[in-house]
Amino acid sequence: MITFSRSQLIGMEFLDEEIVRIHGTQEDHIYAMEIEMDVRIADGVILAVKGLMKRYTTPVCPQAVERLQSAVGMSLRVEGWMQAVMRDIGRNGCEHFAEIITECGRCLDQARMAKALAANLKTDPGADPGALAAAWLADHPEAPGVPLAL
Amino acid sequence: MTVAFMRNKMVEVEPLPTGNLAVHWRLSDDLIDVDMTLTFQLPDLEIVDAAANVRRSPHREGVRAGEIIRKMVGVRVGGGLRKIVRGLMGGAAGNIDLTEGVLECCNAVILNFTLPGIQEFEKYTYTTEEERLAPVRAMLQANPRLYRSCVAFAEDSPIVRGLDLKGGVS
Repeated sequence: MITFSRSQLIGMEFLDEEIVRIHGTQEDHIYAMEIEMDVRIADGVILAVKGLMKRYTTPVCPQAVERLQSAVGMSLRVEGWMQAVMRDIGRNGCEHFAEIITECGRCLDQARMAKALAANLKTDPGADPGALAAAWLADHPEAPGVPLAL
Repeated sequence: MTVAFMRNKMVEVEPLPTGNLAVHWRLSDDLIDVDMTLTFQLPDLEIVDAAANVRRSPHREGVRAGEIIRKMVGVRVGGGLRKIVRGLMGGAAGNIDLTEGVLECCNAVILNFTLPGIQEFEKYTYTTEEERLAPVRAMLQANPRLYRSCVAFAEDSPIVRGLDLKGGVS
């Protein structure tokens, strides 16, 4: 039997060519929270953020909602951004809000690549996704990390 | 507006008949689908088995999940965990999803042990704010490392007020 479970769900809407709206939900046996934020694609800067605490453990926890506003102006692309989110949003507010924002940030460039691959495969269904992904990564050095291989 | 990208992540803790804990983790999004299972031995929470499998990925060249995750065998949940895991998983040259997945499994183990204490809070009845805060204050007193870890345990929080924590809070 499972004695603890956590699920995260991230959805990305490209509002236009410049801004992506990210919805993040985290729910587990203890906590349930949501984040919605608008992020500038070019530099990963958070333009707006809203949070909702649905289940938490102390009567003080909801104060973290207003402290979320310190995320506005932070970039999800600069070196050390995850540590900055954990410090400024997590330690000063709520670790679980910080976990959601971090996951949203990790999805930023993945979503851009997925969008590009989907557009390419729509015009050329026979195209090789691996070659398309490699070409996109070569063209976008700002997208960090090493991809997983099959 | 429709979404252009969705990511689902799940982590589950399953006590095994051996007394160990199996933690099952899975990430699935538009591009990749990867899962891992880490087995933690009690009481020292050492990872004694680790397996991972990439079901879907557009990238043919990159980190081989099954090989890299086996480096986690021998790691214990404790001080310096993040640095140890990130180092073994290749640091900046490693795969961030897999590395953070390991840390999320370890966090799930901790939360698995936190849950019963929080369930005890729910049996507690109170009539005043002081009584309402009492069980949380008791938990903080027993776990002073939580001090300044979030808004609830910040210096100016009513939960912290008056507690004699390490560092001399009063």
